[in-house]
Amino acid sequence: MRRIILEVSLSIIMSFFIGYIMLILMGYDANIVFSIVIREGLSNPTYLMIRSTPLILTALAFSIPSLVGVFNIGGEGQFYLGALASLLIAYVTGNPLLSMLIGMAAGGLLSALIALIKVKRGVNEVVTSIMFNWMIYFSLLYLISTYLFDPLMPYQSVSVPKAARIDYLRIQSLSIPIIFPIAVLTSLAMYFLIYHSALGYRMRVVGISPRTARYAGFNPESSIIVSMIIGGAMSGLGGSLLILGHTHAIDSTMSGLYGMGFAGIGAGLLGRNNPIGIILSSIFLSMLLIGGEAAELRARVPTELADALIGMIVIVLSVPYLVRILRVRR
Amino acid sequence: MEVLSLKLVEMRGITKVYPDGVVALRGVDFEASEGEIHGLLGENGAGKTTLMRILYGEIKQTSGEIIFSGRAVSFKGPWDSMRSGISMVYQRFSLVPTMSVLENFYLYLSSFQRVGIEEVKRRAEDVMERLKFRVPLEANVEDLPVGVQQRVEIIKVLLSRPKLIIFDEPTSVLTPIESRELFRILKELREEGIAIIFITHKLREVKEITDRVTILRKGERVGTYETPSVSEEELAIMMVGRGIVPAKRSVSSPGGEVMRVEDLWVRDDRGLHAVKGVSFELHEGEIFGIAGVQGNGQLELAEALAGMRRVERGRILLDGRDITDLPAEARYREGLAYIPDSRAVGLVLEMNLMENSILTSLRSFLGRGGRIIWPRASGRAGEIIERFNIVGSVRSQVKYLSGGNQQRLLVGREIIKAPKVLIVSEPTQGLDVAATEFIRSTLLKFREEGRSIILISSDLDEIFELCDRIAVIYEGKFVGIERSENLTLERLGLLMGGVNA
Repeated sequence: MRRIILEVSLSIIMSFFIGYIMLILMGYDANIVFSIVIREGLSNPTYLMIRSTPLILTALAFSIPSLVGVFNIGGEGQFYLGALASLLIAYVTGNPLLSMLIGMAAGGLLSALIALIKVKRGVNEVVTSIMFNWMIYFSLLYLISTYLFDPLMPYQSVSVPKAARIDYLRIQSLSIPIIFPIAVLTSLAMYFLIYHSALGYRMRVVGISPRTARYAGFNPESSIIVSMIIGGAMSGLGGSLLILGHTHAIDSTMSGLYGMGFAGIGAGLLGRNNPIGIILSSIFLSMLLIGGEAAELRARVPTELADALIGMIVIVLSVPYLVRILRVRR
Repeated sequence: MEVLSLKLVEMRGITKVYPDGVVALRGVDFEASEGEIHGLLGENGAGKTTLMRILYGEIKQTSGEIIFSGRAVSFKGPWDSMRSGISMVYQRFSLVPTMSVLENFYLYLSSFQRVGIEEVKRRAEDVMERLKFRVPLEANVEDLPVGVQQRVEIIKVLLSRPKLIIFDEPTSVLTPIESRELFRILKELREEGIAIIFITHKLREVKEITDRVTILRKGERVGTYETPSVSEEELAIMMVGRGIVPAKRSVSSPGGEVMRVEDLWVRDDRGLHAVKGVSFELHEGEIFGIAGVQGNGQLELAEALAGMRRVERGRILLDGRDITDLPAEARYREGLAYIPDSRAVGLVLEMNLMENSILTSLRSFLGRGGRIIWPRASGRAGEIIERFNIVGSVRSQVKYLSGGNQQRLLVGREIIKAPKVLIVSEPTQGLDVAATEFIRSTLLKFREEGRSIILISSDLDEIFELCDRIAVIYEGKFVGIERSENLTLERLGLLMGGVNA
């Protein structure tokens, strides 16, 4: 535990340091840029919570299968599908709960398909995930611009009706988007599932050693499928919550959805595949993203700054893995 | 100059200590000449493969020197030794299954020589002409039978015109007819002046094919002999070593039958029959030993008994009940327990002691809704620690425990469940004396309580010390079941080497 905290904080410090040097080399005042990133990133807690919500869920979508040894980078596609399914159900029924459940089911169904193709046909999940990501991306783009656009605002889809929107909770001056506690509670539930249930125990054993799992009488294949379904459902819920609680529609370029699934991979890695770590890492990364956008406006640094920092953190974080792999090889 | 007596390779005082401190070889001398077939005989873990991997440049010796063609050499890797004319035919072939034979040839040769595909084809035709057999060059490797795949492998190494070829237990995957054909090819190669090193643990093969034989035991060279000058019995004794075993067992008084296995057939991962019609019965208060050189079907037999591997034919009865089709978890609930030969399989090294102690009896630690009752698991872990003298705490990561403590945990976890039948495989492999003694006396105590054990071991001392009855497994078959008093070490060695005298 102590080692994990050390590794994570060290990687954050190192990537900040590298980012700092880069900014200086590019001719910016690094001190000002960093103070903008951090100050602006934290200036609006409500917005920070909104941004963190989908990230927590797509991070879980990556991390839960990852514990079983499956690399789910299909969180992106599962996120889109969850958002779409949720939007349609909300539009038709006006029921937010039903809409969330269907969003989860849609994400879970897609990842179940990826897992089935892996287990039954031996096709690597990374390949199928990427293919599904793009298939769904372009299908969604087509659907929204051709059939689902709002006649009054053709640059976006039809909207979630008022009745189905998830509101804010106001505590004195702070307004909390209810989708955020939903994401946090879901993450805690996942923590319980992984570390306190037979299902989670089996999944962890399978992830560490499939042969040991078979010895203990667990079925590795069913663990793979179950973990993927849970992961997909998480991503689907993320898409659903973003639509119901914040954007209320999908814009016709999908810029509001794009990249959430991929960002989740970084948040999952930074949170060390631990649901509680993921809550923290998602908030942290969201702060960087918000701050990065502000820095672009204020200090005219490139938009990519936040992305580069996050990328750097992920790279530095993977160094211990790499060292371990090399040490084993010898 | 007499060509036959020319020493092609000489290894002097080879010692290998692995990073984990295991000494695999202690000052071994070895030599092979042009135009001879030199057998390298020994049990598992005797160091045969390690010695050859050093010669082949795959691993480096800790000390000692290698002289090849009169020059001291130090190969940087297999590609380096291949360039000098040393090739190796592995037990598991190094072919790409989805590529054609010719493509495999090209892949191999082009990794250390500049050749075109036409040149490769011409050389392959040449080799096939010389050895008087053919393989289809355009066929995909995976479509060929195992025996043909081996010929592909042999042609492959011959393409580089080697002076020395190492064969690592080449007959282990072959049928008797294929073996005979292999021996014909080996003799053909010998005629061409190629030196052949033939790694094996089968005595009959040593007698049949080799000119000289070097015997290794526990990392040391026992001797090198002209093959005609030693008998199979002498080879057997040298291979297993002599050692008088103190009998600590009390006289057994086995009770009723608890388990019966009838005509069991099981396939290995490659789909070949690894267990061929094994039958036996097991009584209360009995330790039944299965001796044999590793890789003769023990793993597959153990996994089939434990429910991890499908039984193709035959029946397994536990207390008269047919459990052949029950999955592992259900068998464990019926009173079967299994301790695999590898601690990396029997334990989850990346988890702590508490998490490991519930691995094979998860259900008895569950509360409502599939919730794990961790306090109960912790209690069990504490019990195992105390009863089996483990140095460690409930929260210790298992990978940081010593091998001896890991084994105590593994054995303890299964014994504390008080199963009717315990299947245990190589329980003291790699352990120090104290841990070995502890494990063995634990097993004997378990037997004294009237329980039954199936002990699979390649350690003959262990077999004699613990077992009431002993079966020897050879190529997937039992080649004799006897009460241990009626067996001598020599006879056991012969049976393990496949000689049914």
